[in-house]
Amino acid sequence: MGLFEKFEKDAAVYNALSDAGKNPFTVVMEEMTGPTRARIKGRETVLAGTHNYLGLTFDTDSIAAAQDALSASGTGTTGSRFANGTYDGHRALERELADFLGYSDCMVFSTGYQANLGAISALAKPGEDILFIDADCHACIYDGCQLSGAETIRFRHNSPESLDKRLSRYDGDEKGKLVCIEGMYSMFGDIAPVREFAEVAHAHNAFLYVDEAHSFGVYGQNGRGVSEAEDAMDVIDFYSGTFSKSLASIGGFVASRHRELDYLRFSARPYMFTASPSPANIASVRAALKKVVNGDGIRQRLWQNINRFHGAFRQFGLTLAADPAPVISVLLPNRERAFLAWQFLLEQGVYVNMAIPPGTPNSTSLLRLSVSAAHTDDDVTKVIDAYGALADAFEDARVASQA
Amino acid sequence: MSEQNARDAGPSVQPDDDLVFRKICGLLEPLTNGDVKLTRDTDLVTELEVDSVSILDIVMEIEDAYDIAIPVNVISETKTIGELVDAIHQIKQEQA
Repeated sequence: MGLFEKFEKDAAVYNALSDAGKNPFTVVMEEMTGPTRARIKGRETVLAGTHNYLGLTFDTDSIAAAQDALSASGTGTTGSRFANGTYDGHRALERELADFLGYSDCMVFSTGYQANLGAISALAKPGEDILFIDADCHACIYDGCQLSGAETIRFRHNSPESLDKRLSRYDGDEKGKLVCIEGMYSMFGDIAPVREFAEVAHAHNAFLYVDEAHSFGVYGQNGRGVSEAEDAMDVIDFYSGTFSKSLASIGGFVASRHRELDYLRFSARPYMFTASPSPANIASVRAALKKVVNGDGIRQRLWQNINRFHGAFRQFGLTLAADPAPVISVLLPNRERAFLAWQFLLEQGVYVNMAIPPGTPNSTSLLRLSVSAAHTDDDVTKVIDAYGALADAFEDARVASQA
Repeated sequence: MSEQNARDAGPSVQPDDDLVFRKICGLLEPLTNGDVKLTRDTDLVTELEVDSVSILDIVMEIEDAYDIAIPVNVISETKTIGELVDAIHQIKQEQA
């Protein structure tokens, strides 16, 4: 029994919520009725918490490409990238991503989580290298650091000054140094001053790794992410991303201007020891990437929706975590209130994410909305109406209540 | 730090330990209900129910207060306030 005792406290809450049919972490989408709609508990619900930023999950070209690949190459690769599961499609996608980003090299992983886990754990070695990570980095970056076993130092969120101070403490040390940040942080939707970070990192002979999971396809004139928007594509060292958000599939990648990235193919364990992405996944990503490359007005539609939501929420007086971004978070005073507010929105037919400590910055509790280019006028109206009702019902979600 | 220097620093260990202890308690207090008396033996997770990220945030405050580098790896192995104090004190000595 000793093995399970540590779970008991959390399990009591989890099971009680599940038994009451109110567990935010066990929501089932019974039927998908479109890129922004699903049936939840038998009811048509607007999806505003799925990171489907470009709304390409039902893109006809992506679906057709996946269907063709399924017929031509089968359901799965039954092999790993390293040993027996690299198909022509994997290599083609790597070339297309590298070309789009303007880098020499790219590696495709089976998930975005594994891309960061694999690259960071392979790049840094215990006793030889030091990792510097933004305090608000995603769990996969923390896990990559842990798997590497290398000394890891946190710096204050989005503070090049804090990084500079910490790197300075190691000046003269011959160890390899890797700084990890994200383009857009997914809890608040705030973005990093990437170019400033690159300048600080390079001044201390450190490399810069930028995770653009939530910003690829969304930021920058050509959709290359916050690094492009910050005019830093040519100065960052490693660029990681995922296929499970803007590219509407599953998988991940790391690209670099350093040819040595290729060494990770025989050193990154999360790349070597897991099955490669299926042909259908890869085919749909390649089709979706074409949409990102062509622009196609998708980003404009997304940003129109972002501004509509953010503007309305500000008018309601809701406490917003950051400037307009594809993630719009409303802060609540604690977990209990966040849970009630989340439930309130679901009852209004709007699904968002609830996020609570320790997975959030500064131990905040929040409701996270992910905007989609595919949100229709009807979707936007429904979501805004629900948030308006929320602002009326939850005074403590409004700025005025905290003054 | 050499063995000789460590011995030289010997007499200052106790008061400095106490300073670090008090600093950590000061940072922990706002995160607790106030109904647990903080001692060196207080367990950060089981008694105070402070989450792992909050502990890392406290460590960042300590880093800047003493201008030292405290790797995340070191902190993940500490359970009590006393262990955290000892780990910080050792790093302070090494980086002095």
